[in-house]
Amino acid sequence: MTPSPSNDNPFAGDNSGIQKRETAARWALRVGSYIVVLITLAIMLHIFTKGAPVAFQSKWPFVNTKFLTELPATLHVIEDQQGNHIETDVNGADAIKKQLGDNFRAEKTISYSGGGILGPIIGTALLVIVSVGVALFLGVACAIYLSEYAKHGKFLEMVRLAILNLAGVPSVVFGLFGLGAFVLTAPKFVSVVAERSVLAIPLGFTTLSFEGWDTCVLSGGFTLAFVILPVIITASEQCLQAVPQGFRETSMALGATRWQTIRYSVLPFATPGILTSSILGIARAAGETAPIMFTAALAFKDKLPWQKDMPPLPVDASIFAHWEQSVSRFLGIFTESVQALPYHIYTLAAKIPQNEYAERAQYGSVFVFLVLVASLAASSVMLRKRLRAKYRW
Amino acid sequence: MNSSQTPSRPPLRSVLLRSRKHTILGFDPQKLIKYFFGSNASVAIIVLVLIMVFLMREGVDFLPTYQRELQTYRRAGLEFCDIIDQPLQRNQALSSSLRQALSASLETLSKTARDRRDAAFQLKRQVEDKTARPRESLTQALEKTPPPAPDQIEVLRRELKEAATSAAKSLEYPDLFTAAEREQLQREFAALTPESTDMPPLLQALVAEFSAKDREARTKFAALVTAQEEFEEATEPLQEVLDELKAKALETKEKAVEFEALETNRLRLLEAAAKETDAEEKASLTKEAEASVAEPVNMEERTKEITERTAELREQVEKYAGVVEKAAAELPQEAGTEAARRLINEVRADIPAHAREMRAAAARLDGWRWDKPVSIFSVIGAFFFGTQWITNSSWQDFFGFVPLLTGSLVIAAIAIVIATPVSVVAAIYTNQFASDREKEIIKPIIEFIQAIPSVVLGFIGISLVGNLIKDVSEWSWLQWVPGFPIQERLNMFNAGCLLAFMAVPTMFSLSEDALNNVPRAYIDASDALGATKLQTVFRVIVPAGISGILSAILLGLGRVVGETMVVLLVAGNRIAIPDFSAGPGVIFHPAHTLTGIIAQELGEVSRGSSHWQALFMVGIVLFAISLLVNWCARAVARRFEPHKA
Repeated sequence: MTPSPSNDNPFAGDNSGIQKRETAARWALRVGSYIVVLITLAIMLHIFTKGAPVAFQSKWPFVNTKFLTELPATLHVIEDQQGNHIETDVNGADAIKKQLGDNFRAEKTISYSGGGILGPIIGTALLVIVSVGVALFLGVACAIYLSEYAKHGKFLEMVRLAILNLAGVPSVVFGLFGLGAFVLTAPKFVSVVAERSVLAIPLGFTTLSFEGWDTCVLSGGFTLAFVILPVIITASEQCLQAVPQGFRETSMALGATRWQTIRYSVLPFATPGILTSSILGIARAAGETAPIMFTAALAFKDKLPWQKDMPPLPVDASIFAHWEQSVSRFLGIFTESVQALPYHIYTLAAKIPQNEYAERAQYGSVFVFLVLVASLAASSVMLRKRLRAKYRW
Repeated sequence: MNSSQTPSRPPLRSVLLRSRKHTILGFDPQKLIKYFFGSNASVAIIVLVLIMVFLMREGVDFLPTYQRELQTYRRAGLEFCDIIDQPLQRNQALSSSLRQALSASLETLSKTARDRRDAAFQLKRQVEDKTARPRESLTQALEKTPPPAPDQIEVLRRELKEAATSAAKSLEYPDLFTAAEREQLQREFAALTPESTDMPPLLQALVAEFSAKDREARTKFAALVTAQEEFEEATEPLQEVLDELKAKALETKEKAVEFEALETNRLRLLEAAAKETDAEEKASLTKEAEASVAEPVNMEERTKEITERTAELREQVEKYAGVVEKAAAELPQEAGTEAARRLINEVRADIPAHAREMRAAAARLDGWRWDKPVSIFSVIGAFFFGTQWITNSSWQDFFGFVPLLTGSLVIAAIAIVIATPVSVVAAIYTNQFASDREKEIIKPIIEFIQAIPSVVLGFIGISLVGNLIKDVSEWSWLQWVPGFPIQERLNMFNAGCLLAFMAVPTMFSLSEDALNNVPRAYIDASDALGATKLQTVFRVIVPAGISGILSAILLGLGRVVGETMVVLLVAGNRIAIPDFSAGPGVIFHPAHTLTGIIAQELGEVSRGSSHWQALFMVGIVLFAISLLVNWCARAVARRFEPHKA
């Protein structure tokens, strides 16, 4: 034992070795955790540096509006004798070729890489709206039951177990389920029953036939709804549980019924939290690819969901006919298959030969997609923080 | 309650107990509300059941369908041909090994000459690429009728000449050439014109140099050359007989399938006719049904034609085995390089086994019966233990589950091996050591990974990680790593890395929760006993939270096995059992997975076909795996639960 200064603890042993080991271990752990952080940041940076030049531009309005407001199209690249490359679409190609005349040298076409990504963005938005609508309704109701009504017992345990297991089901299995259930079997009002119908119930003026909705926004949206249902249930239940028990007791003591208690003294305080957490559900629904592959998504579509050919109305058509057509146009949005951003990225990454033009479209779409999803996730986190500060019981 | 206005005041007790509830259809509304929420709560259960029901509905017919297909496979005699054909496949692998050994040996003499030739040709191509435009203009001008003015052509010629000169100058000449040769190449390249069809003299010389060296090498390794040729040609007579039989069997099978299709069609028409009330319609349907009558195929007779030639086939197999063994005996001990010698030795060791296998197969030919029924158990075995997943084949479709399962499991194992230490270390650090500010950086960033869509990560795997791994694998000081340098950019390791990255947030958050749940008293007690921070963490906190950490790992595993897009994009999609004989380097081979195969193939098959049903069967298995993993995670969490202090 080395002699130590008098103000130290005379009974302390020599700790320098232990301390060194302690510091070394601490640094090892620290490095281990920062590796993950650095990899995440590196990936983000990579996508940003490659994708931002596609989505933004140096001139006003700084955002590449063409990329964000046009439908995907086949890109035609025309090379002239001087080696200049001219990018154009199907319609422009012929005109440019004529203009070049003898100067024309070669033409390349790259599928899906021209135009913009408006179609996929709209499609994803529609899918998210349907899925979050369905999932919020079912999920919040389920959470209310679990948090406010349920008593310990077999049923409660089964429900909790089912939620846990549902959260673990692979997304591609949800895709199979959606294909079997919504695309091929879901009930639908039809006038002529299809051959594949499982069951047809005649209702007089129409027939309720279990023949499925085909691949469309509704099928995809419902499938996604069940994918995100466990997330929504768990988050909503947490928010309901966070409302202090005293609120309920006070309300009950004043003679309110259980429903009145829930309606007036629990839900108002839980709703902001539920909505915020459901944004996470939106991000998840927007990001899933496998469930919509067979239920809603198309690789290519040159129209927006509401641009549908309708027979032109006669000039003297009644206001009712106009009204009817608008309604059917609106409903038609949900019974059409759409392009979706994640599926578009999959198509760009896996289904076409790779070159610089395809790469530009890929990174552009990935960048926009990631910005959308990340901002949703980030806003959810921020709002939750704000809410926590606001409601502090 | 206007009880005061009523003439006779009711007793207090009845007022208090009076039901103020109104009812809807005799139900208490409060109860109705409760049931409404309760029924919504059961949605989770219902959905689970529905998933099972719909997977079953589409998939359950798979076994009978597959049984029928295998039955046809046997009856038509395809199986008979495969008895010989399957072991014969080994010949290809062996002869490709021999070819490799041969080319490696030849290279010891001819490599420089070949490299010089290839390099020169590559340089020439580069010059041609760079001067493509002026060359094309010149060619067009020359072909034009009437020919343009000579001075115009002269201009084009000069342009081409200039372009070629500058291109030839800007080339990077490898060290294979001497300075004089470089100059000559440069001159020759600059002089390239569209009319000159002959190769420039130096290139010709290089080609001649290579063929001389190659001849020399071939005479030096003459024994190896002949052995390799003999080995490769040995299959030919056998293959000829076999191909004849195969064509015959295939014809039978096609006829049988056609007959079956017509027969089902006929039965359906008859059924429709029986239901039809309208007499005219009925007559036309019956007529149509009669028209679709087909001649049944006499399988017995047709397969007899095949089995009749058993003796001939056996004779050929015997001959083949003899030739192969002779070739093995003739294989020289020496080869140009060490690797080649090893390859030759391997082949020499494998050939007797191969010959034995062929003879055994020939012996089995007699025991084969065309009408032996295919039992349902053998069909189940063929699915769950089948080693081939072959679809859209002109010969026979096989739905064997093993290649997909091994791919999934190997990728999952890689992912878990990478993700576990990282996420557990990160959880321990953030939970026990990090300052509040560090926590505020680490936690949100790791949780943010969860929000990255899987298709984006798959894309990153294609565009970034694949190239990164390939580049790293070519570093010379890393060549001791098994499997390096890698052949394929998209492989199981790449997919495993990305899945590990995806699994980190799940495992991190759950592990951190587990550490958080360790009772405070444990830590206090450890501190009081004078343990250092490190000792407390690793001997008290981690062991107490181990159940949570284990179940976090299991849940991460569930996530990894079920992930679709990353493996679909990155795993390489080769449907074969990875070659485990390559040792640990096997992780750099491509594979296909359970989830990937569904996503890739389901869009392209017609509903109700055996392929479609097979994919739903795979879905059923995946669903079962996910339930099993979840159950295990819960069981582990319960089993190791620390005693609450």
